[in-house]
Amino acid sequence: MSDSTLRASTRLVDAVPARSQWRLAIRVFRRNRLAASGFVLLCTLVVVTLAAPVLAPASPIQTDLTQKLVPPGPAHVFGTDHFGRDMLSRLLHGARVSLAVGLVVIAISMSIGVPLGLIAGYHGGPADHVISRMVDGLLAFPPFLLAVAIMGSLGQELRNVMLALGLVYAPVFARLVRGSTLAVREELYVGAAVAVGAHSRRILLRYILPNVLAPIVVQATVSFSQAILAEASLSFLGLGTQPPNPSWGRDLSEARRYLVDAPWLVLFPTLAIMISVLSVNFIGDGLRDALDPRTRLQRETL
Amino acid sequence: MTVSAYLLRRVAQLPLVILVITVVVFALMRVTPGDPVVIMLGVYASPEALEAARQEFNLDKPLPAQYVLWIGRVVRGDLGISIRTREAVTRTIADRFPTSLTLAAAAILVSLAVAIPLGVIAAYRRNTWIDQASMVSAMAGLSMPNFALALLLIYVFALRLGWVPVTGIGLVSVWENPLRAIPPYVLPVVALAVAQTAVMARLMRSSMLEVLSQEYIRVARSKGLREHLVLIHHALRNALIPIITVVAIQFAYLVGSTITIEFIFAIPGLGSVLINAVLNRDFPVIQGFTLFMALFFILSNLAADLVYLLADPRIRYT
Repeated sequence: MSDSTLRASTRLVDAVPARSQWRLAIRVFRRNRLAASGFVLLCTLVVVTLAAPVLAPASPIQTDLTQKLVPPGPAHVFGTDHFGRDMLSRLLHGARVSLAVGLVVIAISMSIGVPLGLIAGYHGGPADHVISRMVDGLLAFPPFLLAVAIMGSLGQELRNVMLALGLVYAPVFARLVRGSTLAVREELYVGAAVAVGAHSRRILLRYILPNVLAPIVVQATVSFSQAILAEASLSFLGLGTQPPNPSWGRDLSEARRYLVDAPWLVLFPTLAIMISVLSVNFIGDGLRDALDPRTRLQRETL
Repeated sequence: MTVSAYLLRRVAQLPLVILVITVVVFALMRVTPGDPVVIMLGVYASPEALEAARQEFNLDKPLPAQYVLWIGRVVRGDLGISIRTREAVTRTIADRFPTSLTLAAAAILVSLAVAIPLGVIAAYRRNTWIDQASMVSAMAGLSMPNFALALLLIYVFALRLGWVPVTGIGLVSVWENPLRAIPPYVLPVVALAVAQTAVMARLMRSSMLEVLSQEYIRVARSKGLREHLVLIHHALRNALIPIITVVAIQFAYLVGSTITIEFIFAIPGLGSVLINAVLNRDFPVIQGFTLFMALFFILSNLAADLVYLLADPRIRYT
């Protein structure tokens, strides 16, 4: 039997249950109120991010020293900071930084971690040994500490924040994918593909990757929210986004000095960070429940 | 595989993991864009000073030789001296680490004290409003950056209400004057503990749910044991086992994430030194601290595995 006829026949057999698996997952996900509201919130956030230049009532970096530390009111809904900059505009533009960091970081860490995990899990032997020890070594560092140290060596710049966090979160993906690959490798359809002489790259991409996708998706949401928090922390410490560019963490760092006179400068960026992280976390939890057949079964029968 | 064989294999893997750790730490100074010596000493440093620093870090030699020379010193307990303060890095670590450790330990204890009852109640009353309320607030705690929480705590409890001071850790010894030494710890510990509590309460809940579905719980109930006895004697003891591993992992994480909290509360711990080192590009300090923390992290994980094995005789690793 050639590879293409095998593909055709497995597609016939697998396609129907495979698609309904995902559909079932979507149904469970939608029925989860928290996850659904997280999804709606995140979509709103993405729209706000894209439309920030239109929505923002003022420039995020334009200073006006006659309007310093104005409390929230009709002219400035979220008040102004110590340079007289409109906080609402800064928050809207800051959302771009946070979401961009989250997306780029998971893109970097997945494109490093997923292939390494697939190779280690599928091929085993010396490749697995080398990759696994590298992963163990990297996971030995407290992640935020390693990110701080890498920032010290690369220099304080937003681009480097994405790079540092991307590197720091990569080994988690590698370990996760390796584990799932080990299990999937033993499946009959993989053996069948090997038997008809499919290339190992083809087996990895077409037969194994789709079946280890669920845990990757869940981990991606976790890493995404961790990246947002980590960027805020790094910028807060002065190691991330540099002034005058807007960033929630950076704004909090400056607000620290005006805590007594202008507590709203702390409150609003905090809420912005919380809402975005919370919505991603709710989505992650919902996905975990929806994609895990065991908990799904529980929910279906309840 | 027996317990001792498993442990032996874990210990046998340690040298390789440590090798990777040292290579990463070594690379920190070498992957920097530009000349590390110029970055450390600044562009206005004299050529003699730059040359001396190059000699000190063996930057004139090939990379493998640099690594071997560096490792040779690390093995002898020499992590180099700070570019700024000219103090031995090991000395700084020895001075600063106890403060960070105390902070992290206090945060863990506080969070366990809250998370265990919370998780047990949430599991016992699962799918009721108590369960949902505690799990949603746990998620909120997880989603809040600890530095933002710290700022809000400072605003409310220090600036508005004036109940506790913002700074002052390390000024007085706990043994001399506990009434003055302990209050400055309150806000930083709470700020650190909230996220930990959230993680552990969620874990405690799922661990408890798993145990409660076991046969022996039904047996205990059907023989008429009172509910609190079933919960505490039968369920809780087994549900606590997975918490052990997480406590060790979270503990080492915490020592790393006290960085921002130390920065806000001006606490003389490892974190505040590290921030200054990163801002000043003080590579020996960055490398020494990172190496120390990574080693601390893997050793505490190994210890947790050991306790885990001892606590649960059912666990047999393969």
